[in-house]
Amino acid sequence: MSADAARRFGRNRLALLGLALVAGLVLVAAAAPLLAPQDPVKQSLFEKRARPDAKHLLGADEFGRDILSRVIYGTRVALLVGTLAAAIAVVAGGALGCVAGFAGGWLDATIMRGIEILLAFPYLLLAIAIVSALGPGVVNTTIAVGVWGTPTVARMVRASVLALKETEYVRAARALGAGGPALVLRHILPNVLPTLCVYATLFMANAVLVEAALSFLGLGVQPPTPSWGLMVSTGRDVLLVAPHVATMPGLAIVVSVLGFNLLGDGLRDALDPRLRGA
Amino acid sequence: MKRGGARLATLFALLAAALALGALATPAAAQKRGGTLTIVRPTDPVSLDPHYETTAPGAWVYSNILESLIAIDEKLALHPKLATSWDVISPTRVRFKLRPGVRFHDGTPFDAAAVKFTLDRALKGTPPGRWASLAGPLAGAEVVDDLTVDVVTSEPFGPILRSLALVYAGIVSPTAVVKAGPDFSRAPVGTGPFKFVEWKTNTHVILERFADYWGDKAPLDRVVFRVLPEEGARMIALQTGDADMVLFPSPIQLAALRRDPKFAVHEATGLRVVFVGMHAKQPPLDDVRVRSALLHAVDLKAILANILEGAALPARGVLAPGVFGFKDMRLDQLYPFDRGRAKALLAQAGWNPGPDGVMQKGGQRLTLTWLAARGRYPKDGEITEAVQAMLRDVGVEAKVEWREWASAFTQFRGDPLSFHLFTLGWVTSSTDADSSLYPLFHSRQLPPGGWNTSRYANARVDTLVEQARRSLNQGERERLYGEAQDLLAKEMVWIPIYNTMEIVATRASVKGFGVHPVEYFLPLGKVWLDR
Amino acid sequence: MAGSLTFALRRLLLAVPVLLGVVFIVMLTLELVPGDAVAMMLGEHATKEAVDRLREHLGLDKPLLVRYAQYVGQLARGDLGRSIIQNRPVVDELADTWPATLELTVAALLIAALVGVPAGVVSAVRPNSSFDALARLGSLFGLSMPIFWTGLVLIVLFSLWLPWLPVGGRGSLAHLVLPAVALALPSIAMLARLTRSSVLEVLHEDYVRTARAKGLQELAVVVKHGLRNALLPIVTLVGIQAGQLMGGAVLTETVFAWPGLGRLMVKAIFARDYVLLQGAVLVFALAFVLVNLLVDLSYGLLDPRISRQG
Repeated sequence: MSADAARRFGRNRLALLGLALVAGLVLVAAAAPLLAPQDPVKQSLFEKRARPDAKHLLGADEFGRDILSRVIYGTRVALLVGTLAAAIAVVAGGALGCVAGFAGGWLDATIMRGIEILLAFPYLLLAIAIVSALGPGVVNTTIAVGVWGTPTVARMVRASVLALKETEYVRAARALGAGGPALVLRHILPNVLPTLCVYATLFMANAVLVEAALSFLGLGVQPPTPSWGLMVSTGRDVLLVAPHVATMPGLAIVVSVLGFNLLGDGLRDALDPRLRGA
Repeated sequence: MKRGGARLATLFALLAAALALGALATPAAAQKRGGTLTIVRPTDPVSLDPHYETTAPGAWVYSNILESLIAIDEKLALHPKLATSWDVISPTRVRFKLRPGVRFHDGTPFDAAAVKFTLDRALKGTPPGRWASLAGPLAGAEVVDDLTVDVVTSEPFGPILRSLALVYAGIVSPTAVVKAGPDFSRAPVGTGPFKFVEWKTNTHVILERFADYWGDKAPLDRVVFRVLPEEGARMIALQTGDADMVLFPSPIQLAALRRDPKFAVHEATGLRVVFVGMHAKQPPLDDVRVRSALLHAVDLKAILANILEGAALPARGVLAPGVFGFKDMRLDQLYPFDRGRAKALLAQAGWNPGPDGVMQKGGQRLTLTWLAARGRYPKDGEITEAVQAMLRDVGVEAKVEWREWASAFTQFRGDPLSFHLFTLGWVTSSTDADSSLYPLFHSRQLPPGGWNTSRYANARVDTLVEQARRSLNQGERERLYGEAQDLLAKEMVWIPIYNTMEIVATRASVKGFGVHPVEYFLPLGKVWLDR
Repeated sequence: MAGSLTFALRRLLLAVPVLLGVVFIVMLTLELVPGDAVAMMLGEHATKEAVDRLREHLGLDKPLLVRYAQYVGQLARGDLGRSIIQNRPVVDELADTWPATLELTVAALLIAALVGVPAGVVSAVRPNSSFDALARLGSLFGLSMPIFWTGLVLIVLFSLWLPWLPVGGRGSLAHLVLPAVALALPSIAMLARLTRSSVLEVLHEDYVRTARAKGLQELAVVVKHGLRNALLPIVTLVGIQAGQLMGGAVLTETVFAWPGLGRLMVKAIFARDYVLLQGAVLVFALAFVLVNLLVDLSYGLLDPRISRQG
């Protein structure tokens, strides 16, 4: 990231807010044992669904566990799943999309058919298969979610590469004799990057939600490990009588999504060489 | 004047008495005929033919279309239904006299041939009915004359009568089955108070009053069964009046519904026991002291009060009350919640607290593996988590492996089972202890042949259950089962948690409805709407 | 035009191995994953003999490849087999559910496109304005709420507190509103953001600046030059969303009791009914291939410089 881009980023207040939020999340995750007022897995059944009060600042869940502590520890799972899954999807999908878009011909056709098969395959079954093979848990959930995102990223990147391939400056670079990999790295990738950034941040939010669905089905994070997604899923049964059980972790999801998105937007605005004065 | 006054007084007294009697004789509200009852439940049936569908969503519907020879009422007592009387002729033969003048919905007459057809289809058909295994040694039926039929078993079978009262043993119209072929699943024909009208998959099933029913005609014109998978949505439908009756209502909202005069909550003790099973052959659970310690570690009252919140009853044993052969195992007295006792028992078995609180013996930690699924039984996931925490409080570390039901079920049925603990439920569908005690606790009923997932083995219990199965003397059977349950109580291989309650929430205008303890029955023949 | 036709035909032909491949992988996966359809169906009280007998009767004891070959043979004759759990032709099961899914997907896509794309365009033309800020914030909320949560909230708002709309199920247009809106919310957000990003990029292309310099109206510039090229990734996303909505609307279908393909697939997966699942997956995959084809054809229309791929 050139000094130019860094300066642009620094001037964008929303981007800085995003950076602050994400940094805050990382901090909370790292310092969870120090920040959490209570043991996130300690049950106290008679305090079930306690409303927020002095003892439980955000209330208690259906087992009487402190929601604030669980939300704090849940940051770890959210960050892990969100960033790792996004990384898997972006790297795998990005590579596939670049190769397909750039190479064209039968290679493109093969990759795209493979992607189609993956997309046509029922995701639930894929998740069950992964969990059956690898066992349940955070890391394997991350893999399952990452695999989920790969085809979409691949297709997005391929579309961008297709468009970029025909632009004048790429043609010019080719005419000047730039070879395959160099072309991709120097000319195509930087221009694909902004879209990729935007999509990666969108994906991170989705990752938390996909993890919620998986955890609810018993295929994701294993209780009693706190996961925001699982907390929202199980809290929905009591939405009408104890809304705080689902809403508090839901708010945590929103805050982290906001942070990642603002950061992503800021990065995109900073990195795009053509976006001056936006 | 005195005589006149006396006569007047008597007249007044008589008048008053007449008025009083008149007031007593007038019913509070007259039963109204007509109307449509809308019922919402979580899932659509797979089939409306008991031959193919043995789960509740189908049974709720076809239990109103089909009838069996014998009926089980809400007190779990047997009554004549399509059979008017029966006689045990020999240990393997029961003769039934059938009710005359009964017709199927398609107009064909009900007779002994129909009974034989139904049983042959279920037991010897290709493929046999899904419930055939529950029928045990039931072999078939023989026609004696039009209104007399013999039901035959291949060996003496004590629970024979209750097996014939199963919701799956409803008599079907032979003509309709032959004519419809596989489509009979989508349009069953029986003798019940309601007849089938329409089934739109995943949307609704519609039934209509059968005008030529042999008994009291149903007050309702129509019944509509709708599907709403989300609990919250079902409760909202009840509130808005979109639904008159909700099956599987939300336990948390029950208290509010009970207080609200616009609604009514109907409940009955169910037949299902949900428990944490222990693998009795897997160390350290092969030591009865360790198993007892686990039982003492669980605070059942807290679970019942806070997780089930009045939507279930504490388990009284391995069977549900009302089941023929039930004995109250007094588990609250035998294994009261007592952490001290739990730890003492563990110490007796050689387990002592390690540095982090987890029990240790010879350098090994007391870690148990646990297989559980979520959502198969009400609150099964929550109970697993709660008991896991309670075990940790006495130094037992339980590692739960969560699976979705299909995977878990495969493991439960498998052999060997490598887990120490498992969360499971069992319903005594035939209302007879045999259908629980035999497959669950007989030492030869190991999976996949049987369901003795705990690998329990006690030769005396084996003998008792075998004898009770073959005896037709119901008094003797009860005695045998009582003794078996006494033995089980001393070396428990289950931590029974709760006994289901069948709960249905309705609008107050729904009258004449009683919840049946057997979760498959949904008796609508006497229901009427006050509006 | 002839070029498009051959392109389309070639793609449809290529679709056949894709479909066969998916079917095989589904069958293989269900074989490897623990769980037995027949055992689950018969439940706890069934004896082992009963389970084995039924498996044999249904032909499920044959090896995988034999069953696959049988299935493909049947498929060639247009027979999708009989569902194991429902004992009913799969075609009938699909006929009952597929129109519902189509209805919901089309409605949700329409809402998403008609709301999301214009919002994105306006955002891009007026970046950092209050509309832009509001739209971006709204998008973020739309993306971060779990669908079963928004669904239930919508029901509480519009069925309970304001008794305008029915609680669930499928019937009239009123029944379609809530589920389509709930399903569309994340898509609206994605489309708005992507449109904004794409249009912004394009607006700063040299040829657009040239057009502006020539004095053309801002709007004309955007519409004529900007939108056409920005549409490429947008159309791709719409295509992807269409695919995901079709098979992935499981949670929405559950919350609103919408009798669609998603719920059918989940039921089939949990019951390990591979015949039913394959039928559902085939419909889904076929629709998917068709949508992809349409998207790829539109690339050619939108940007004639792109040579035909695949």
